[in-house]
Amino acid sequence: MKRRLLLAPVVALVVASLGALPLVAAPPPQKSAGGKASRLSKTAAPAPAAQTQITVNGVVDIDPTKAYGNKNAPVVIEIFSDFQCPACKQLFTTTTQRVNDNYVNTGKVYIVHRDFPLPMHAYSRVAASYARAAAHVGKGEPVEQALFQNQDKWEATGDVKGVVALVLNPADMKKVQALVDGKTLEPLIDRDKQLGIAVPVNQTPTSIIHAKNGQSYPVIGFVSYDVLKTLLDQLVGQ
Amino acid sequence: MMQSVPFNYRRIIIWMGRLLLAAIFIYAGLAKMIRWDMTPRPPLGIARSLFALQIDSYQMLPAWAVLQVAQWLPWMEIAIGLLLLIGWRLRIWATIVTLIIGGFFAAVVRAYALHLDINCGCFAKPEPLTGMTVLRDGALFLLAVLMTVFAFQEARKPHPWAAPAPEQSS
Repeated sequence: MKRRLLLAPVVALVVASLGALPLVAAPPPQKSAGGKASRLSKTAAPAPAAQTQITVNGVVDIDPTKAYGNKNAPVVIEIFSDFQCPACKQLFTTTTQRVNDNYVNTGKVYIVHRDFPLPMHAYSRVAASYARAAAHVGKGEPVEQALFQNQDKWEATGDVKGVVALVLNPADMKKVQALVDGKTLEPLIDRDKQLGIAVPVNQTPTSIIHAKNGQSYPVIGFVSYDVLKTLLDQLVGQ
Repeated sequence: MMQSVPFNYRRIIIWMGRLLLAAIFIYAGLAKMIRWDMTPRPPLGIARSLFALQIDSYQMLPAWAVLQVAQWLPWMEIAIGLLLLIGWRLRIWATIVTLIIGGFFAAVVRAYALHLDINCGCFAKPEPLTGMTVLRDGALFLLAVLMTVFAFQEARKPHPWAAPAPEQSS
C-alpha cells in the first residue's frame, strides 16, 4: 500500500507533464482536411470555367448552381459525394435534407455539393454529369434527389438518363442532354475532384465544415442529423 | 541477506499491461479533448462534438447515447489510465479496462466486417479503420485479458517482496 502511495505523486507528475505538453509545444502545421483546402485557395491553379465559380467564406471554386443558402451564413459545409455510394445516399436522404430545412433555409449554413465520382463506380461519373447539367438548367435539387433515391435502379441497369427523365419535362431534359453531350461542364466536375484530392478526400461522403473563424473540420462518412446538429449549433453560435 | 525475486512472467505481463494500457488510455483521453492535431485547437465543446461524429459513424448507438459517450469517455479513459498506473484495486480496474477494450474491439471488427468507410476515432485524429486497426485492437484486448487473468491469479499468492510469514510455534 505504501509503495502505491509513493507512486501517486510520480503519476501526478507524469500526467501534469502530459497535459502541459500541448500548451508549451509549438502548434503543429495544420493537418486537417479543411486546412489544406484553405491553403489551396491561395495556391490553386486557375480553375476551368472560373467565370462561373464563386468564393464564399474562403471556400473557393464553388459552382453556384450546386450550392444552396445564404452566402453570408456563419458556416459553410462542403460535401464531397459520389452518386453511386450507398453512404452518400444515406447522408443525402436523411441528414442533408434536415440540414437544408433547419440550417440552409434559415440562413445559418451555406451548403456546397461537390462531385467526387469514384473510379470504382461504373456510372457515378455519368450521374454527376447529368446532375451538374440539371443544376445548370435550374433543376439540380430534383435530379439529385431522383438519382439518390433511385440509386439501386440505375446502378443495376446503367440507365441514368432514364431516371433523370422521370423528374424533368421534355424541354428541360433536352437542355440537360445537350449539356451532357457537349461536355462543357465536365471541367467543373474535374475541378471538384481536384479539390477533393487536395483535401485529401479518401472516401465518400466527406464533409468539410468551415466555421466563420477560418477553422475547418472534416467529417468522414455518414453522420446522423442529431449528432451533426450539436456541432452546427456551436459553430453557428460562435 | 537479500534474495532475488524468481522470474515470474505473469508479473511481467501485468506490469507491461498496466504501463502500456495506462499510457494508451491517458493519451487517447487527452487527444480527444485537446485535439492537438488541429490548429487552432478547438474549444472543448467542439472537440467533444467532433468525437461524437466519429462515434456516430460506427452507426451502433442512438444519437443521445453517442452524445453521452462523447462527453464521458475521454474523462473515463484518463481516470482509468491513472488508476491502472497507480495499481490501486488493480483487479477491478483491469476487469473494467478489459471490458472497455473488448467493446472497442467488437465495434472495430463490426465496422470492418460491414466495410464501413470510417475513421477509427481511437485517438481523435483522422485515422482510417483498416485491417491494421483490427489487429492492433485485438492485440491490446489480448494483453488486457492476460493482465486481468494474471492479476487475479497473482492476488492469491503472497507478494514476492512481502515479509515472510512468521513461523508458528507448535
